[in-house]
Amino acid sequence: MSETYYELFRRQGISRRSFLQFCSLTAASLGLSEVGAQEIAQALQTKERVPVIWLHGLECTCCTEAFIRSSHPLAKDVVLSMISLDYDDTIMAAAGHQAEEHLERTIEKYKGRYILAVEGNASVADDGVYCIPNGKPFIEKLRHVAKDCHAVISWGSCAAWGCVQAAKPNPSGAEPVHKSLRGLGKTIIKVPGCPPIPEVMTAIITFMITYERLPQLDLQGRPKMFYSQRIHDKCYRRPHFDAGQFAEKFDDDGARMGYCLYKLGCKGPTTYNACSTVRWNDGLSFPIQSGHGCIGCSEDNFWDKGSFYEHLPTILPPGWGGIESTADKVGLTAAAVTGAAIAAHAAASVVKQARSKSSNDKLATKE
Amino acid sequence: MANYPYQTQGFTLNNSGRRVVVDPITRIEGHLRIEVNVDENNVIRNAVSTGTMWRGLEVILKGRDPRDAWAFVERICGVCTGVHALSCVRAVEDALGIVIPRNANIIRNLMLSTLYAQDHLVHFYHLHALDWVDVVSALSADPRRTSQLQQSISSWRNSSPGYFRDVQNRLKKFVESGQLGIFANAYWGHPAYRLPPEVNLIAVTHYLEALDFQTKIIKIHTIFGGKNPHPNWLVGGVPSPINLDGAGAVGAVNEFYLNLVRDICEETIEFIEQVYIPDLIAIAGFYKDWGFGGGISSQNLMSYGEYPIDPGAHTNDNLLVPSGVIVNGNLNEVQDVDLKDPEQIQEWVSHSWYKYADETKGLHPFDGVTEPNFVLGGNTKGTRTDIQEVDESAKYSWVKAPRWRGLPMEVGPLARYVVAYARGNEEIKDQVDGLLGRLGLPITALFSTLGRTAARGLEAQWSARKMKHFYNELIANIKAGDMATANTEKWEPSTWAKECKGAGPCEAPRGALAHYIKIKDTRIDGYQAVVPTTWNASPRDPQGQIGAYEAALLNTPMADPSQPLEILRTIHSFDPCLACATHVLNDKGEELVKVKVC
Amino acid sequence: MEIEKYSGRVLPGPIENIYVYQAPVRLWHWITVIMMLPLAVTGYLIGAPPPAIYVGGEATFIYVFAWIRIIHFSCAMIFTIAFLMRLYWAIVGNHHSRDIFLPPVWSLNWWKGLWDQAMYYLFLKKEAPSWVGHNPLAQIAMFAMFVLGSVVIIVTGFALYAQQWAWGDGWMALFGWAHVALDEPQAVRTLHHLMMWYLLLFSMVHIYMVFREDIMGKESVIGTMVDGIRMFKAKEH
Repeated sequence: MSETYYELFRRQGISRRSFLQFCSLTAASLGLSEVGAQEIAQALQTKERVPVIWLHGLECTCCTEAFIRSSHPLAKDVVLSMISLDYDDTIMAAAGHQAEEHLERTIEKYKGRYILAVEGNASVADDGVYCIPNGKPFIEKLRHVAKDCHAVISWGSCAAWGCVQAAKPNPSGAEPVHKSLRGLGKTIIKVPGCPPIPEVMTAIITFMITYERLPQLDLQGRPKMFYSQRIHDKCYRRPHFDAGQFAEKFDDDGARMGYCLYKLGCKGPTTYNACSTVRWNDGLSFPIQSGHGCIGCSEDNFWDKGSFYEHLPTILPPGWGGIESTADKVGLTAAAVTGAAIAAHAAASVVKQARSKSSNDKLATKE
Repeated sequence: MANYPYQTQGFTLNNSGRRVVVDPITRIEGHLRIEVNVDENNVIRNAVSTGTMWRGLEVILKGRDPRDAWAFVERICGVCTGVHALSCVRAVEDALGIVIPRNANIIRNLMLSTLYAQDHLVHFYHLHALDWVDVVSALSADPRRTSQLQQSISSWRNSSPGYFRDVQNRLKKFVESGQLGIFANAYWGHPAYRLPPEVNLIAVTHYLEALDFQTKIIKIHTIFGGKNPHPNWLVGGVPSPINLDGAGAVGAVNEFYLNLVRDICEETIEFIEQVYIPDLIAIAGFYKDWGFGGGISSQNLMSYGEYPIDPGAHTNDNLLVPSGVIVNGNLNEVQDVDLKDPEQIQEWVSHSWYKYADETKGLHPFDGVTEPNFVLGGNTKGTRTDIQEVDESAKYSWVKAPRWRGLPMEVGPLARYVVAYARGNEEIKDQVDGLLGRLGLPITALFSTLGRTAARGLEAQWSARKMKHFYNELIANIKAGDMATANTEKWEPSTWAKECKGAGPCEAPRGALAHYIKIKDTRIDGYQAVVPTTWNASPRDPQGQIGAYEAALLNTPMADPSQPLEILRTIHSFDPCLACATHVLNDKGEELVKVKVC
Repeated sequence: MEIEKYSGRVLPGPIENIYVYQAPVRLWHWITVIMMLPLAVTGYLIGAPPPAIYVGGEATFIYVFAWIRIIHFSCAMIFTIAFLMRLYWAIVGNHHSRDIFLPPVWSLNWWKGLWDQAMYYLFLKKEAPSWVGHNPLAQIAMFAMFVLGSVVIIVTGFALYAQQWAWGDGWMALFGWAHVALDEPQAVRTLHHLMMWYLLLFSMVHIYMVFREDIMGKESVIGTMVDGIRMFKAKEH
C-alpha cells in the first residue's frame, strides 16, 4: 500500500486541521468552492501517485527549471508525494541503459494510465538527426511513449508551439508536439510560456490528479483556468493604460512611476497568460512589474512578430528604411503619393478646363 | 588522426577493449552521449563525447533587431539562464559603444552572482550528489547519530534527531510505495558509493532542503528581471527602474524589494556556509583518495574573468575574478586572453557534424561558418537513425571543437579558481588553501573530478558573499544620488554606425562564454556564441587532441562497466549543458545543405 | 431618358433628373463619414499613443486612453451596424444600391464604360459619358477599396476586440478565425492598421473626385448624396 498525501502530511507532523486548511487554500487558488476543498482533501488521502514520463527534445530545460521553482506546492512534494516521476532526463538518478530500461518498464506497467509530459520538441528535418538522444531521432521516442499514454502535457512554448528553434527559418525543422503526435488521437494539454509559470505547471498537475479529469481547454488546447485572459486584462498597470500614461523610454519618469509599458512594445495586450495574476516565483513579480514589457512568450511563434520593443510589427524588409518603418510609414508614404497625384490631377483638370473654355471663347468670338 | 593506440596530451588512447555506451547521460542539461572502451581491468582507455542535439539559434538571429537578440540567445539555456542574455547585451553594447550606468552594472553583477549561487547549489545537490550519495543507504541511518554528526559539522538549525527521523520516514514510505520515480533503477548499493548511512541521510535531507531553498535565492532575478527562468535584460542597462521615495515608487525597485534582496543575500550565505560547504567537506572526506577525472585540468585552463568593478572594460584591472590562460600546468605564467584576436580562439569541425571549406583549419568566431553536415564514419555501428556506436575517427558530435592557440582548454569554476589562484587573488587563495588544509590535500588534488566539485562549492560561497557585496554597493550608489539604470542615448537605431561588431565575454557558472555580433544596417549580420560546454564537451580536432570530458574519463577504473557510475561522476563534475554547446550559427546565412551518410 | 443596361450609361436623348440614392443609402453614407473621422484619429492614437496628458495624476480617475478606446469601439460598432444595414439595403433597395457591392464585371458595356471613364480622367478623352449611378471606375474603386477595405477592417477590428475573451468564447468564437487565418494577432493588428490608411487613401481620392465631378462633370454629385436626386446639367452651349 503506497502512501497517500494525507498520511504524508500527518507523518510530517501536520495536523488534520492544517491539512484541511491547505486543501481549502488550494481550492481557493483554483477558484473552487468549499465542496472543491473537500474533494481535494478526499483525493489526497486516497490516491496512488500518478506515473509521469517527462521527455526532453530540442529545448533549453527552462521548463524543468521552472517546475522546480514552484512554491505551492513545492517541487519536492510533487515529486515525492503527488506524482511518480518515473522518467525525466534532467533529474533522474539512473542514466543510459538503466534509464531506458526503466522507461520501458513504466510504459509496460502503466499502459494507458501514465501522463506524458514533453519539454521541447522534435526535429523532423533530415530524418530528425538534429536531436538524437540514444542514437535515434527523438520523434521516434516521443511517438513510442505517447502511444500508450493517458494524456499529453506539452510543457512550454517549445512543445506547445515550436518556440525559438522553430523561429524563421527553423533550421532544424522543429515542430510542436501536437504535430509530431498526429494520428495518435491523444488529448494534448498545452501549457505555453517560455517557460510556463512554475505554479501554473504544478497546479495543472494537482488538478489532474485530484479531479481525475483534464482541465477545461480553450480552442487552442490551453487550460482555460490560466490562459483565457490576456495579461493586459489583469495587469496592475492597466489604469495607466486607460489613463493614457505611458513610459516613453526605459528609465524615464514614466517608467519610474510604473506607467504602462505599451509604448515600449509590451505584448501584454495580445498575450494570454496568468503572469499578471499568479505572477512569478511565489507571486513576487512579473516582467511588467519589473519594468520590462511582456515579450509574449506564451503566444504562438512570438519570435516572429516583430521587435519586442515596437508596438506594431515592422513590416518592411531591412534596407527599406530600417527597423522603425511600420505600417504608419507605409500609410503616410501612400497618402503623400496619393495627395501629390490628386494635386497634379486637379492642376491638369484646371488647365484642361481653361483650355476648352478659351477655345469655346474663340469659337464664340468667331461667331 | 592516428590509428589506435595513439598518444595525445600525455594520454594513451586505445579502443581495443569492450565498448560501453551511456546515452542518455542524465542529470545534465540537454542531450549527451558518452562512449568508452574499457580494458580487461575495466579501466577506461578511450573516451568519446557526443553532443546529440542542434537547434541553429544563430541562423535564426540573422536579420533581427540587435536589441531583441538577448531574448533569443537567452533561450540557448534555461539552466544557466541569463548568462547568454548578459553576454549578448554586452556584445551589442560593445558594438554600439554604449556604457551602462553604474547601477545597471551592479545589478547585473548581483544577478550573475545570484545565478552562480543558485546554479551551483542545484548542481551539487540535484545533478551531482547522487553520484556520491546512496539514497537507499540513508534508510538504514540512525537519526540520532545523524543529528550528532550534523551538529558536529555545522550550526545549521535543522539538525534534531526528530527532523532526520521525519525525513527518513518520508523516504521509507516513498521507497515502500514501490513507486521510486526519479530514484528508480539507479545504482544504489554500487561499490563506488562510500558514505556511511548517516552522511547519506544528511545529504538526502539537504537534497530536499536545497530544492526548496533554491526557489528563494532566484527571487533576486524576479525583482530585477521579472521572472526566472529567463529574466528580462536590456541593451544599455537593466529594465528595472529605481524609485525609492518619489511618486509611484511602488512601480519600481523600491525599499520593499531592496529589503527582500538583502534578506535573500543573508539567507543564501547562511545556507551555503552552513549546509553546502559542510556537506561538501564531509562527502569529500570519504572520497579524497578517489583522485580520478583530472583530464586536462592539470594542463590547460582558461577564464575570461568576470564581475566588472566599474561599467565598461572587461580587463583584469577592472574585474573581481581575473581572466587568463594556463598552459601545460604552468601556474607561474598566466597568459592573457583576447577574444577578438583571430589567432587565439578558433573552432574546428573535423569531428563535428558541420562543414568548412577547409576542415584542416580553425575559424575565429567573427569569421565563423556553420553548415550542418550529418555524416557518419565508416566504422559506425548501426544506421543513421539508429546509432549503436559512433565512429570517432570521423564526425561524431554536434559540438564543435574550440581551441585556444590550437590547444584544448578546460573551463569552469575550477579553471576560474586556478587562474585566480595563479594570478594571486587573495580572497580565492585563502578559500582554496583553507579547504585543502582541512582535507589535508596538496594543490594538485584540485585537478580531479572532486577538485572541480570542490571549486564549484567554494565559488558558490564566494558568490553568496559577493551578492551581499553587490547589494551594499547598490545601496551606496543609490545613497549617493544615482538612480539611473539604463542608458538610452543609443537606443534608437538611427544613432548606430552603419556597420559594427562586438564581443561579449561572460564567465557563466559553467565557464568561459563569449558572444560575437556583427551589425549591419541596424540588423544582425552575423552571430556566434562560443560557450563553456563547447570547450569542455569538445570532440577531437584534426590533430586528434581530445577535449576535457574525454580526457577526464581516461584511466578511470570502473567497478562495473554496466553500471556507469564513475562516468556519471566525472562528467557531472563539469556540469554539462548541451543545449548551450550545440546551437551554432551560419554566419553567412546560407541555405543549409542536405545531410548524407557516407 | 434612356439608360444602358448594367453600366448605367446615359444614352443620348432627352434628359431628366432621376432619384438615385434612396434614403437608407444616404443615411449610411453620412453615418459612415461621421464615424470614420473619429475612428481614424482614435485608431491612430491607439497605435501611437500621445505622451501622458496628466502626469502624476491618480490613474484611477483619469481615462484619457480609455476614452480614446471607447470612442473607437463605439464608432466602430456604429460603423459596422451601418455597413450591415447598407448590405441589407443592397438586397432590398433599388438597383443603384447594389452598384458598389456587385460591379457588373460580366457586362461588356460596363468594361467599355470603365475604359471610357479612365481615358477621360487621363485627359485622353475630352468628354466623359454621363452616368446615373456610380461610373464604372468609381464602382470598382468603391468595391475594391471601400467595400473590401471595410470588410477587412471590421473583421480584423472585431478579432482584436475579441481578444478580451478566451479562445472559443464570446466574440472570439466569431472572429478568432481571423487570428488563425493570419497566423498571429500581431499580423491582425498590422492589417487593421494598414486598412485605416487604405480607407484614408480611398477617402482622399473620393473627396477629390466628387468635388471635381461636381464642378467639371455633367451631373450633380454632392447634392445627390443629400437629396438623392441626380441632376443632369444642361449643356453650356
